[in-house]
Amino acid sequence: MEPLKVIVTGPVGAGKSTLIRTLSETEVVDTDAVATEAIGKATTTVALDHGTLRLDGQLLHLFGTPGQDRFDFMWEILSKGALGILLMVRADRPKTIPAARNILDFVVSRTPVPHVVGVTHLDQPRVWQPEEIALFLGTPLERVVGFDPRKPEEAARPLARLLELIGTESV
Amino acid sequence: MSKQEQLQQILSELKAALPELKEIIVASPDGLPVAQLAESEIATRLAAMAATAHGLGKRISTTTQLGNLQEIVIRGDQAYFLAYAIGDKGILGFTTPAGSNLGLVRLEAQEYARRLAEVL
Ligand SMILES: Nc1nc2c(ncn2[C@@H]2O[C@H](COP(=O)(O)OP(=O)(O)OP(=O)(O)O)[C@@H](O)[C@H]2O)c(=O)[nH]1
Ligand SMILES: [Mg+2]
Repeated sequence: MEPLKVIVTGPVGAGKSTLIRTLSETEVVDTDAVATEAIGKATTTVALDHGTLRLDGQLLHLFGTPGQDRFDFMWEILSKGALGILLMVRADRPKTIPAARNILDFVVSRTPVPHVVGVTHLDQPRVWQPEEIALFLGTPLERVVGFDPRKPEEAARPLARLLELIGTESV
Repeated sequence: MSKQEQLQQILSELKAALPELKEIIVASPDGLPVAQLAESEIATRLAAMAATAHGLGKRISTTTQLGNLQEIVIRGDQAYFLAYAIGDKGILGFTTPAGSNLGLVRLEAQEYARRLAEVL
């Protein structure tokens, strides 16, 4: 089977780099730089994250994007040739959900392939539930997966869902 | 003079030393424009791209054991985009036409990057 390229995207702090670090079986390429704005963490991705993993016998190449709008050229570059999109969204930052929607539209309009929404930070107080996020994004609920990208036993969950979708349909 | 004014002042001196330079920017490591001699929209774009190129360049230098990243060179057939680390505080980037004396440009750019590092 050919390796399958998946783009991992979504707003700042959703956990894109964390996911790839948790899952990759090969040495991860990350390009985090010191954050000079208050974004709730010390570093932010400026170019890409890259890692690989084997899931159900399928080799996946994960390409993580930066989350900030000023790096939108990287969304475009990294989405080329992707066969699936994992959009990550923070349940405890509903204000970032319009930004997530914007990134999704940007990527899907250029690369019309299936997407799954991964909802993180559900362990935090006062969160939007996956149902609400599904409604806001107009994504069917069965494509919205709540998970914690820090946990190896959960991190592959949205990718497994994405593989099912890629296997069953083209968009 | 405010920090911002000092940075602008240094960029103006760089421009005076190398008048052929165009679109001179100082970017923060995470790609925000900190000072610029360029139209604001272009400066914003170039600052983000300089951070991306620099972030990726650092990874390539580590992976291929080049040592510390010193310079990014993007060479088109009409001009160059060059970027230099300002210590770990930011990035100095500019465009210069093809046919520029790169040896001289390099020397000056590194000197100005050192001066910018003192202010940042
Ligand atoms: N409590 C909690 N923390 C999480 C969860 N998922 C991720 N995190 C933390 O949230 C932060 C996410 O940071 P990154 O992985 O750098 O986020 P990113 O999406 O790559 O962000 P940018 O590259 O800046 O766009 C990390 O500190 C994670 O440890 C979660 O489900 N719950
Ligand atoms: Mg990241």
